[in-house]
Amino acid sequence: MTKIYFEDIAVGDETTSHSRTVTKEEIIDFARKYDPQPFHLDEEAAKKSIYGGLIASGWHTGSNLMRLLVDNMTNNRAGLGSPGFDDLRWIRPVRPGDSLYYKSTVIETRRSESRPDMGIVRADVKLYNQNDDVVLSMKSIGMVKTRPE
Amino acid sequence: MRYWEDFTVGMVMEFGGYEVTEEEVIEFATEFDPQSFHIDKEAAKEHFFGGLIASGWHTGSMCMRMMVDNYLIDSASMGSPGIEQLRWKQPVRPGETLYVKAEVLDRSLPKSRPELGFVKFSHTVLNQKGDTKMTMISSGMFLRNPENSATEASQ
Repeated sequence: MTKIYFEDIAVGDETTSHSRTVTKEEIIDFARKYDPQPFHLDEEAAKKSIYGGLIASGWHTGSNLMRLLVDNMTNNRAGLGSPGFDDLRWIRPVRPGDSLYYKSTVIETRRSESRPDMGIVRADVKLYNQNDDVVLSMKSIGMVKTRPE
Repeated sequence: MRYWEDFTVGMVMEFGGYEVTEEEVIEFATEFDPQSFHIDKEAAKEHFFGGLIASGWHTGSMCMRMMVDNYLIDSASMGSPGIEQLRWKQPVRPGETLYVKAEVLDRSLPKSRPELGFVKFSHTVLNQKGDTKMTMISSGMFLRNPENSATEASQ
């Protein structure tokens, strides 16, 4: 697999991922471990909540986005991890049976001043459901190696 | 029950004690972040992190669990619109114990939804030595105290 270095990435580059389906069992399992609020855990309680039914933890949705990013991008990128992200919005609830995919667009590339062997890549990432509604958006930040000389 | 009114600007909450295990780091990453330094002990040694580290999303999820257990579960939480800024400051490694320091930065009332309000928090995830692992600025939605709202409405 050809490695993608910092120099290979340009503003405007777009990526669309494959889909990942979220099941009721996964939603409940994640919530039991990390976000045990009634609208993530309990179908009956969730029906009475403002969401009108079981919805995935926002952290579960973010983690599913991470899995899609790893499967689609990270493995052939000369990545050095991420310092974080900005402006994450949970726009629509994710419900059992939803199938999620992302589109990302590179919005900024710059060389690190302190580390000449890497650059910073910022991207606008939107996660969609099977109806093409945006469920989550965020601005990702990735550190990528520069091409070895 | 804690309502929007109970989260006052400047309020600080400290809680946690989440023990990070190798088994859980690998289990989380196998499902959500299968990069070698999160799932493979031997490969992780060769990596610049020098050993197995937790996925950043796992650290965020562990922070969420501590938030739920310590102040969200007995509150009128209606979920969250999002995270303004999140930074992973240092790798989280198996064997560490995580704590959270939360502070209320700001709060507001939307005109469109009189029954609820927003609270803006800063959350810092620290280990047992006090090293900062993650920082996060995020918002939560909480119902307003029905008694207070009724009083205001009648004035």
